[in-house]
Amino acid sequence: MQDELARQLALLPSRLGWHLLLTIVALGAGILISVPLAIFALRFRPLQGPLLALASIFQTVPSLAMLALLVVILSTIGFVPAIIALTLYSILPVLRNTVTGIAGVDPAIVEAARGVGMTDWQMLLKVQFPLAAPVIIAGIRTSAVWVVGIATLSTPVGQVSLGNYIFEGLQLRNNLAVLTGVIAAAALAIVLDLLIRLMEVAAAARNRTLSLVAVAGLACVVGGGVAPLLRTGPDTFVGSKTFTEQYILADVIETRLRAAGFNVGKKQGMGSTILFESLANGSIDVYVDYTGTIWSNIMKRHDVPSAQEMLGEMSEFLEKHYSITTVGALGFENAYSLAMRPDRAEELGIKTINDLARHARGLSIGGDYEFFGRPEWIKVRDAYGLGFSEIRSLDATLMYSAVKNGDVDVITAFSSDGRITAYDLLVLADPKKAFPPYDAVLLVSSKAAKKKGFVDALRPLIGSISNEQMRTANMMVDVEKRTPGAAAGALIQGLFSEKK
Amino acid sequence: MIRFQNISKTYDGGKIFVVREFDLEIRKGELLVLLGESGCGKTTTIKMINRLVEPTSGKIFIDCVDIGSIDKIGLRRGIGYVFQGVGLFPHMTVNENVATVLRLLDWPEQKIRDRVDELLEMVNLPPDRYRDRRPRQLSGGQRQRVGFARALAARPKVMLLDEPFGELDPITRDALQAEFLRIHEKLGLTAVMVTHDMTEALLLAGRIAVMRSGRILRVGTPHELMADPRDGYVAALTEGPKRKADQLEAIARGQASLP
Repeated sequence: MQDELARQLALLPSRLGWHLLLTIVALGAGILISVPLAIFALRFRPLQGPLLALASIFQTVPSLAMLALLVVILSTIGFVPAIIALTLYSILPVLRNTVTGIAGVDPAIVEAARGVGMTDWQMLLKVQFPLAAPVIIAGIRTSAVWVVGIATLSTPVGQVSLGNYIFEGLQLRNNLAVLTGVIAAAALAIVLDLLIRLMEVAAAARNRTLSLVAVAGLACVVGGGVAPLLRTGPDTFVGSKTFTEQYILADVIETRLRAAGFNVGKKQGMGSTILFESLANGSIDVYVDYTGTIWSNIMKRHDVPSAQEMLGEMSEFLEKHYSITTVGALGFENAYSLAMRPDRAEELGIKTINDLARHARGLSIGGDYEFFGRPEWIKVRDAYGLGFSEIRSLDATLMYSAVKNGDVDVITAFSSDGRITAYDLLVLADPKKAFPPYDAVLLVSSKAAKKKGFVDALRPLIGSISNEQMRTANMMVDVEKRTPGAAAGALIQGLFSEKK
Repeated sequence: MIRFQNISKTYDGGKIFVVREFDLEIRKGELLVLLGESGCGKTTTIKMINRLVEPTSGKIFIDCVDIGSIDKIGLRRGIGYVFQGVGLFPHMTVNENVATVLRLLDWPEQKIRDRVDELLEMVNLPPDRYRDRRPRQLSGGQRQRVGFARALAARPKVMLLDEPFGELDPITRDALQAEFLRIHEKLGLTAVMVTHDMTEALLLAGRIAVMRSGRILRVGTPHELMADPRDGYVAALTEGPKRKADQLEAIARGQASLP
C-alpha cells in the first residue's frame, strides 16, 4: 500500500504541473477573449443576447465530444485541442459576469462620469471596470473551477493531466490512483478558488495590498506547479487504448525503446479512432492494433480471408495510404467473441452463435463502448440474425463480472482476456466466421520508422508473445491486481512457458 | 453668456415635447434658477447645456459659440456639474474624486495636489482629515461639499446644479446654501440651478425661470415674481412661501393664530 502510494505520488508533479498549465493558459485565453467581447456586446445592445446565447451553447456540448471534435478538425492530439476546448468552456462565466457587472454599475455614477467630461474609454477604465471588478473576478473564479474539472478529460486526447490518474485507475481497477487524481484535482480547484476569492474581496474593498498578496499567492502556486514541466520532456510516444492488454504492451514497448536509448513517454487511454489518426499524423510513434480492427474500420472490408492474407493486405494498405509501417504480428490474437456463463448456455442448449440466434430475443447482450458502433457488430448481427432484447454498453473491465453475476446474458469478450479463464466463461463458436481474425500487430508512424534503431529495437517483439502468455499477463493485472508494469516485466522476462 | 435659441426636445418623433420653443438668455455672473414641478422639463433643459442631452431643434450658445459645433468632451470639462444625489465615484478617495477633471486635463501632479487642498479648504473640509476618506465614510452634507469641490476644480466659468440640496436635511441644506452663495459671489460664476422648491429659488436666485410642460411661463427676479406674477400658476407657486413667511413672522411676534 505504501509502495503503491509512493508510486502514484511520483507521477504527481508532472500530472499536476500539466493540469495547472492547462488551467492557467485556458483561463488566461478565456479572459483575453471574453473581456473585449463583453465590451463589444455592451456597445451594441442587440448583440448581447445572441453573444451570450452562443457562449452558452458551447457550454452544453459535452466536454469529451468537444475534445474529440477538435482532434478531428485540427488533426492533432494533445495540448492544442485541449487548450482550445478548455478556453471555449472558460468563456461563458467571464463573459456573462463582465457584461452584467459593467451594465450593473449605478447609472447615476455613469452619468456623473460622462458629465465631468470622460470619454467612453475613460469611463470604462476609470469608473466602470473598477466598480465591476468584484463581479468580473467572481466570474473568473467560476471559470477556474470549471476548467480544473474539465481538464481531467484531456487524457483521452493525449494530453497529460490529473485525468491520467482517474482513467488509468478506472481501467485497471486501481482505487488508489483514482483517489489520488480526484483529491489532487479537488485540492487544485479549492486552492485556485480561494486565491481568486481573495482577489475578489480585495477588489471590493479597494485594498491594494490585499490584491497584491492574492496575485503573489497565485504566482507562487502556478510557478511552483508548472516548474517540474520545464525539464525536457519525451520526444517519442507510445500510444495505448483503454484496456489492460494495451497498458501492458505499452509498458513493454516503452521498456524496449528506453533500453535502445529513446526518450519515451506514453499517451494512454485513447480511443481507437483517435489513436489511429495520431499515428497517421505522427503525434504518436507506435502502438498495438489488431488486424480485424483495421480491416473492418479503416479499410472497410467485409470479406474474411485467412489471417496471413489479411496481415499482408493490411500492411500494404497502411503503407500505401497512411505511410504507416507494420513491423509485424506479436504472436497472439485478441478477437471479439461472444461469451456466456456455461450454466446458462447449457440450460438453453447454446454452443455456437447459431444457437444463440434462436434464443436472442429473450437475452441481453453487453459490449464495450466501441463495439456496437463498429462494422464487425453489424456484420455478425446480420450474418446470424441476432435480435437481442437489450443491448448495453459496459465498461470493458466491468463486463466480465456483469456476465458472471447474471446482470447480462452475453458479452462481447476479448479472447485474450484472462478473465475468460478465471471466470470460466464459455466462448461461443463462430462457424460462419463472421468475426474477422484479430492478430495483434505493431504499427509504427512513418516519422518513427525513419529514426535510427527504432524499428530494430521493436523487431524482437514480433512473434514473441503467445495467446497463453498474453492471457496470463492480463490475468496478473485484472485478477491478481498487479500493476501493468509488473505484468510487462514478467512478459519481457518470459517467465511463462508456452502451454499447448 | 448662455443663450437658448428656440430649443425643443422630443423623444418620440414629435408626439410629446419635453421642452418646447425655449428661448432664454442667462447673463454672465448671474444665478438663474429653473423652477417647476416634476416632468416640466427643467432637468432636460439643464442637461442640454453640457450636451448630456442633445436638443431636437434649436441652438445653445455659450459666450457666443454654438455648443453644437464644438467637441462635447471639452465642453463638459469646462463646465462644473453638481448632480442630484452627488454622484461621487465610490471607489475613489475624496482627493481622487475632486481631482477627476484635473486628471482628465493632464494637470501636473503637484498642481493637482495643491488645487485639491485649496478646494477642500474652500468647502470647509480640512484636507488633512478628509483627503484620503472614501465617500461611504462621509455624511450627506460632506459628500455634497466634495461634489462642489469636484465641480469647481478646473475653474469653470459655468456651473450647472441639478437639485443639489434635495437629499439633505434642512439644517445642512441651509448651511450649504449659504456657502454656495458665498462661493458664487467670490468666484463670479455663471450658474444655472434646477429645483422644485420655490422657497429655495426665491432665496437664492438672481432670476427665476418658471417652467411648465416644457415651456417658460415667466422669467424674473424673486421680487418681480412675488409682486407681479402675471400668471395664475406662478402666483399659486409663490403663494405657499409667502403665506408661510407671514405665519412665521406672526409666531415670532407672538400673534400666532389658527390657519
